Amino acid sequence: MFRSTTQSLHGLLFRPIMSRLSLLFRIASAMPLLALLACSPESTPPVEPAEPTAETAPSDDQAAGQLTIRANGEDFVRQGFVTKDDWQVTFDHVYVTLAEVTAYQSDPPFDAEAGGQPQAQQMVNLDAPMTVDLAEGGDDADPILIATVEAPAGRYNALSWQMQPAATGPAEGQTIWLEGTAAKADETIAFVVKLDPTLQFVCGDFVGDNRKGILEAADQADLEATFHFDHLFGDGEAAPDDDINTGALGFEPLAAIATDGSLEVDMAELEAQLTPEDYTALINILPSLGHVGEGHCDETILTNS
Amino acid sequence: MKPFKLRRTVIWALQRLGLVVAAGACTPLAAMAHGAHVQSRTTSAVEIQAAYDSGEPMAAATVQVFAPDDPETPRFTGVTDTAGRFVFVPQQPGDWEVSVRQAGHGDIAVIPVEADGAIAAGFTQSAGLTPLQRGVVLGAVAWGCVGTALFFGRGKR
Repeated sequence: MFRSTTQSLHGLLFRPIMSRLSLLFRIASAMPLLALLACSPESTPPVEPAEPTAETAPSDDQAAGQLTIRANGEDFVRQGFVTKDDWQVTFDHVYVTLAEVTAYQSDPPFDAEAGGQPQAQQMVNLDAPMTVDLAEGGDDADPILIATVEAPAGRYNALSWQMQPAATGPAEGQTIWLEGTAAKADETIAFVVKLDPTLQFVCGDFVGDNRKGILEAADQADLEATFHFDHLFGDGEAAPDDDINTGALGFEPLAAIATDGSLEVDMAELEAQLTPEDYTALINILPSLGHVGEGHCDETILTNS
Repeated sequence: MKPFKLRRTVIWALQRLGLVVAAGACTPLAAMAHGAHVQSRTTSAVEIQAAYDSGEPMAAATVQVFAPDDPETPRFTGVTDTAGRFVFVPQQPGDWEVSVRQAGHGDIAVIPVEADGAIAAGFTQSAGLTPLQRGVVLGAVAWGCVGTALFFGRGKR
C-alpha cells in the first residue's frame, strides 16, 4: 500500500514536472537556431519586384540608338584552317548574299531549337540584299559590316536572314562563293565552289564571349550573323570521331574531282560529279552554316536550284 | 527520388544545428576563437543539364547565369559537372538566362522564375535539333520547390 502510494505520488508529481522540463529543454535547445534563422538576412530571401522587360521598348524617337549588324566567317575564313582530312585551306573570297535581315525584340525570347517565329515587340528590317566577302581584311579583321541602322532601344534577342543568289556583283547568280587554295603534302588545288540554294535562318540570342543586341537609348549595339564553315570541311584540330568531323564533307571529295590542280564547279556540276552520298551530305550541311555566335538557328532550305 | 532524399538531409541538418548552437552558447567566448559557423536553409534551386544532340553530356562547359535585371554581367559563373549539370539559386523573379558554351558551340536558355523561386508553370525547353547540329540541349529541370541546402561556412581566427 505504501509502495503503491509512493509510486502514485511519483507519477502525480515528478512525471509531469520532468515532462515539462524535457519540453522546455527541447524548446530552449531550438531557440538559438530559431533566433539565428530569424535574424539571418538569408533566412527570408528578398523578393525583388519584377523589372520591366526590356522588350517593351518605347516607341518615341528619343528612345532609339544605332544597331549595327555584321557578318562573321570567323577565323576559319579569315586565317584558313586544316580540314578533317588534312587539307590546309585558305580563302581569297567567301562571298555570301544576305537578304531580309531582320532583328527582333522578341517576347518571349525566341527558342531556335523549338522553331517557329520570334514574337516581335519591335523589329528592324534591312530591305536590300547585300553581298559581303567574309574573307575581306587580314587575319584579325573585324566581322564584315552589313549595315548600321537607327533602331528603337531595347533588347534585340533574335535575328533572321535569308541567303539567296546574288543579282549582281562578283558572285552573281550564286548564294555562296568559296574561292581559295587547298594544299596537302605536295598537292595544291585552286578552287572556286559556287552554291546557289536559297536558305532561311531564324536565330535566337547571340551566344559568345559578350552579350550582343542590348541597345540603350542614344547608344550603339551589335548583332552578328555568324557562319561556321567548319561544318562543311570539318576541323583537323578536333578528334576524327568528333561530331564536327563525322558530319562534315571535308575537302577530299572536292579534291577528287579537281583537274590539274584546279577546280571550278557549281551546284549542277557538283551533283553530277560527286558521289550521291557526298552530294547529299553537302546539301544537308548548308542549312547548318548559319549561327548567331555559337548559338544555333532554325534553318530551312527554301529552294535548291 | 533524389530531391526527397535531399530534403530529408536538410531537415536533419537543421535539427542538428540547433543542438550544436545551443551547446556553443554555454561555452566561454575564449573557446570560440577558432570556431566555425555553419548556417543552412532550404531554398528553390534551378538545375540545367547541357548535352550535345548526340546525347553526350557537355561536361566542364562554361556556364554564365544572367539575372533578370542585368543581362550583360553574369551573376554566377562556373562549369558543368561530368553529367553536364549546373545548379544555381535564382534570387529574384523574372527571366534568368543561362549560357552554356563549349568548343565553339553553345546555347542560352531563358528560365522564367516566379516570385516564390519556382520555375513558371508550363515552362519547357524543347530540343528539336537537326542531326548536323552540335546543339546544346538545355534540359530545364523544373525542380520547383526542391529543397536544396546551402551551407555557409566561415572560420574565425
